[in-house]
Order: sequence, then structure tokens, then C-alpha cells
Amino acid sequence: MQHVFAMMLQPDPYQSVPPLYADNATIWHHMSGALHQSLYRVVTLLIAFLPGIIAFIVALALSTLIGMAFSALLRRGLVAARFDDRFARNHGSVDWAPSGSLSELIARTAFWACILVGLIIGVSACDAAYATAATQSSSFLPYFTHIIGAVLLLVAGTLIARFLARSVLIGAVNEQLQYARFLSLGVKWLVLVLTAAMVLDHLHIGGNVVELAFGILFGGIVLTLALAIGLGSRDLVSRSLESHAERTSERSVTVQANQATTSADPILHI
Amino acid sequence: MATADSISGVTAPSARRSAGLLVLLSSMPPEQLVEIIAKLTVSFAPEDLIIAGSDAFEADNYPALRIVPTAAINTSWMLTAADFVNAYQLAIKTGAQSILMLGPEANTLGASGLCDLAKAVLTGSTDLAVPRYDLPPHARLITSAILYPLVRALFASRVRFPMALDVGLSLRMAECLAGAGHRFNTLNQGDAFLWPVSEATVAGLTINQFGVGPRTLPHATGSDFNTIFPKITGSLFADIDAKAAFWQRFRQLQPAHSFAPMQPAISTNSIAEIAPLLQAFQLAYKNLQEIWQLILPPSSLLGLKRLSATDGAAFRMPERLWARIVFDFLLAHRLRTINRGHLLGALIPLYLAWVASHFNIIASGIDSESHIETVAAAFEADKTYLVSRWRWPDRFNP
Repeated sequence: MQHVFAMMLQPDPYQSVPPLYADNATIWHHMSGALHQSLYRVVTLLIAFLPGIIAFIVALALSTLIGMAFSALLRRGLVAARFDDRFARNHGSVDWAPSGSLSELIARTAFWACILVGLIIGVSACDAAYATAATQSSSFLPYFTHIIGAVLLLVAGTLIARFLARSVLIGAVNEQLQYARFLSLGVKWLVLVLTAAMVLDHLHIGGNVVELAFGILFGGIVLTLALAIGLGSRDLVSRSLESHAERTSERSVTVQANQATTSADPILHI
Repeated sequence: MATADSISGVTAPSARRSAGLLVLLSSMPPEQLVEIIAKLTVSFAPEDLIIAGSDAFEADNYPALRIVPTAAINTSWMLTAADFVNAYQLAIKTGAQSILMLGPEANTLGASGLCDLAKAVLTGSTDLAVPRYDLPPHARLITSAILYPLVRALFASRVRFPMALDVGLSLRMAECLAGAGHRFNTLNQGDAFLWPVSEATVAGLTINQFGVGPRTLPHATGSDFNTIFPKITGSLFADIDAKAAFWQRFRQLQPAHSFAPMQPAISTNSIAEIAPLLQAFQLAYKNLQEIWQLILPPSSLLGLKRLSATDGAAFRMPERLWARIVFDFLLAHRLRTINRGHLLGALIPLYLAWVASHFNIIASGIDSESHIETVAAAFEADKTYLVSRWRWPDRFNP
């Protein structure tokens, strides 16, 4: 070890010897030159990028105006054509129908579609300006679309998580499972964790770490649910299953009793 | 499922001759068919009857009857849109003046009841003849808790069983129902339910109900209660939504007719069944509050809180609270406050609580029918609340 240190402390005979003093004026000169160059580059970039930003704002403003006009026109046309009444007459009450007026929904969709088109045009103009100005050919449009995709994924994932959690909760309560809330929370977090992993993956953040963490977390939640239901709530599950089996047998008895008109009075909801 | 084109093989030689009553039967064993025919032929001449929907019927035994060997009506526990469309088409093709649709186990109906239903539509005095069954208090509870009070409050009709299995229809009533059913058929929703009472009321047709005595109810096969309940209530809620312009106006309730009292009050055997109903409600109260909070106003939630604190024989759901709950769920169905499947699923434990309360009330000596009438009256009294919130749903509602 001492030998190694000795080797390290010895001067390298082939290395050029640096000057033992520095000229302060030269340092400041170099530093200000570097700063000036950097400032020049940034200002040049901004000047080149400014038309892009203005183009973005103009595109967005124009598309908003066009969207408003198009939406108003569409709304009037649909109202004049009695579109809502015709739809209700032909399709009745369907589960997927909107809560409000359908023509209003179509008009709003058209408006937001115009905004989206304007946004894409604006970003594209920005991107072109940036690519022209930047010395290296990089583009932030693909990443911007990734961000939009990630936001959509997040919204969809949250909605699905909430929907599934409610479905499980109501279904489990109506089946009279004592651990209904626990099941519902488990399903909700499973979907949320899956969504978070998908969003991060979509944004190329974390790389393998996210995949690994997701695998561990997802597996952990599933294992926790399995252990809780299989071991921790063994008695609970067996009681639930027993009561379910009793109910099923009672139902079959109910049918027989109804046919035979015995003295027992089964509940006939329908 | 019955089809419209399955009537080409009319077996009787006098098929083109106009007859009075088309009797459309559901699928049932031959012995039940024989029983029904025997009851009908007591009051009607065989040449006035067209029997349809029986594929297991031996026509040779009844040479005077016109048998149309079409597929049986689809109903297992409620008449569907496809059934009404097929009935009307069959009536047009056979030249019948009126229709009598009979559900499974219709052989258990009394002869006089059957004939009353048939005569009412045959003579033209009634467009829609509905039976009033004499059922025990623990039967058809969805009807007692929700369907009857809602139909009575909104459509001013005293028809006790709006979800009847057996109905008599005049030709114009059948046409009206077929028109409504056709809309569902074109959407491939032939198994959707139709509500003849509301259709007849909106169309301004005459409705009469007839006491038909006791009847054995068919068991709803193929699906469990948790599936059937949302289907029935969702169908009625959608029908009410579609006819909102009609029922928001004030209408005088039909005068009450006196009927023979129904079967005696519940026996003590049924009281034991209250415990699981209460457990279901208590479990739901612990878990579904966050969903109920989206639908119900604070006053109803407070009522449910009080209710959750009571147990056993003291458990009573006030009629006004129940009316408010149903109205608020109806409003949430209209406004799509939450997913409709979730909404109707969240109503199930509350309905079970009402059933438990109903059993407790009749166990205390109060007549079942009088309690149901009280519930219906509470719905009527609170109709203004529904109309107000229907028109202005965002108004402050404590």
C-alpha cells in the first residue's frame, strides 16, 4: 500500500509542467469572452425562436376563433335539424348516451378538436423554429406528444381505477362480503400502480428502474391481497363462503318451497 | 324468442275468418295448456278464440279451436318488447280484435279472473286489462316497494302490479305497445321491458284492473337478484325519464276500487329472514356511504344514520325517507351522477332495508296492503319534490 502511495506522489516525467503563476487579466479576459459567446448564442437562439412562439400564439388564437365559429354553426344546425329528438326517437335511452344534450356534446367536441389542431400547428411551427436555430438537430415535438399521451394515460387510468373500485365495492357489498372495501382498495391501487408505471415508461423516465419497481410493487400488492384473503382472512372467507352456500341452498329450497307451497314463506322479490 | 314470421302454418281450416280473442301463451307443459283452454272455453265459444304460442298443444283434441303453432312468448317473469311486437303482428295476421297474453303458470289463475281480463278487452270497454293478483305479503316486493308507488305517484294509476305477467290488450293498445317495442327491436333490445300502464296512460287509453285471485309466480331463472333488480328498476327509471313531459303535470288519481283482501299477514317463519336483510344494510352503510353521499341529500343520509343505529324488531324505515331515497336515485339516474349500473347496485341494500322494515311493520299487526298504500301515498305527497328537483337539479337541497 505504501508503495502505491509513493508511486502516486512521484511527479510524472512525461507530463508538461503547468505554469506556477496565472495572469489575472488573461483569466478575466477568457471568462468574459466565454460569457459573451454564451450570451450571444442564447440571444441568437431566442431571436430565432421568437417567430416560432409568435406563430404558436397566432395559431392557437386563430384555431380558437375558428373553433368557436364552427361550434356555434354546428350547434345551430343540429338544433334546427332536431338532432336530439331524432336520436332519442331512434335510439331510445342508451347507457352510453351523454347526460346533457347530444348536439351540445358534438359542438363542444368540434370546438376542442379545432383547438387541438391549432395546438399541433403551433407546436410544429415552434419545433421548426427551434430546429433551425439550434446547432444540434433536436426536436421537442415528439416529446411533447409523449407528454400529451402520458396525461391521457393518467386520466384514463385514474378513471378506470375509480370505476373498477366502485364496481368491486358495490358488487362485494351486495354479495355481502365483509372485506368489500379492502378488495375495492386493492383493485384501485393495482390499476393506479399500473397506470403510473405506464406513464413513466411513456415519458422514458426511470427506464429499467421503473419496470423493476413496478414489478415489485404490483407483485407485492397481489401477494398482499392473496395472503390477506388466503391466510389473514381465512376465517372470514370461510364464513362468507359458508353463508353464501347457505344462501344458495336457501334459494333452491325457496324454489322448491314455492312449488310445493309449504308453510315456509320465502321472500319473492320479483 | 318468439319471431314474427313463425305463424305461417295456421292449422285450422278457417284461418282467414276473423275471430275475437287471440290468446298468446308462454311456454308451458301441455297439461297447463289444457287447463287454461278449459277455463277459457267456459265463457267463450271455441270459434271466438285463437290460441297461439303453444308448440306442445295437440290441436286434434280441439277441432273447433284455431291453433296457431307459433313460438311461445318469450317471457319468463315479465313481458318484453319483442313479446308485444309479436303479439300485435300475430293479431293483425289472424284478424283478432283483442289479445290476452298469459305468462307461465297462468293455469293457476281462476276461471273468472281469466274471463274478466278477456271480456274487458273483447267488449271494447277497456284498452288495457291488468290483473290484481292475490299474493302473499312476501311476494313481488320490488313491485310493492318501488314500481307500484312510483307508477301511482307519477302516472296517477292505481294498478297494483304494473309488472303484470298476464294482460288483456285491445288492438289499439297492442298497436301502441308494438310501436314502443319496435324501437327496442330495431336496436336489438328485444328483451327490454315495456311498461304497459305508463304507455296506456300517456296514450290516453283506458286501463282497468281485475281481481283475479291467487296465482303461482314463476321463478326468475337464469340470473340472480343482484342482476334482476337493476334491470327492472333501470327500465322503469328510463321509462319515467322518457315520459317526463307527461308526468310533471298534475293529474287526478283514479278512484280506488274495492278488491277482496289479500292473503293474511306474514307468518312468523319469515321474521327470521329479516336478520340477513338487516346485515346487508349494515354492511352497506359501512361501505357505501361515499357513493350514497353523491346521490342523497344530507337529510336522507341523516335518516339512514339513524336507521343504522336501530336493529331487530324496532327497525322501521319511515315512508317519507323511502320515497325521498327512490326519488333521489331516480334523479341521479336521469343526471347520470354516477354510472347507472353502480347507481342501481347501490340502491339494492336500501331496498333490502325497506323489505326488513316492511316485514317488521306487518309482523306488528299492520296489514301489508295498508302499509303499501301508505308508502304509495308518501310517494304521491312528495311528488312536488321530484318535479322541483327534476326541473332545477342544481337548486340548494339540504
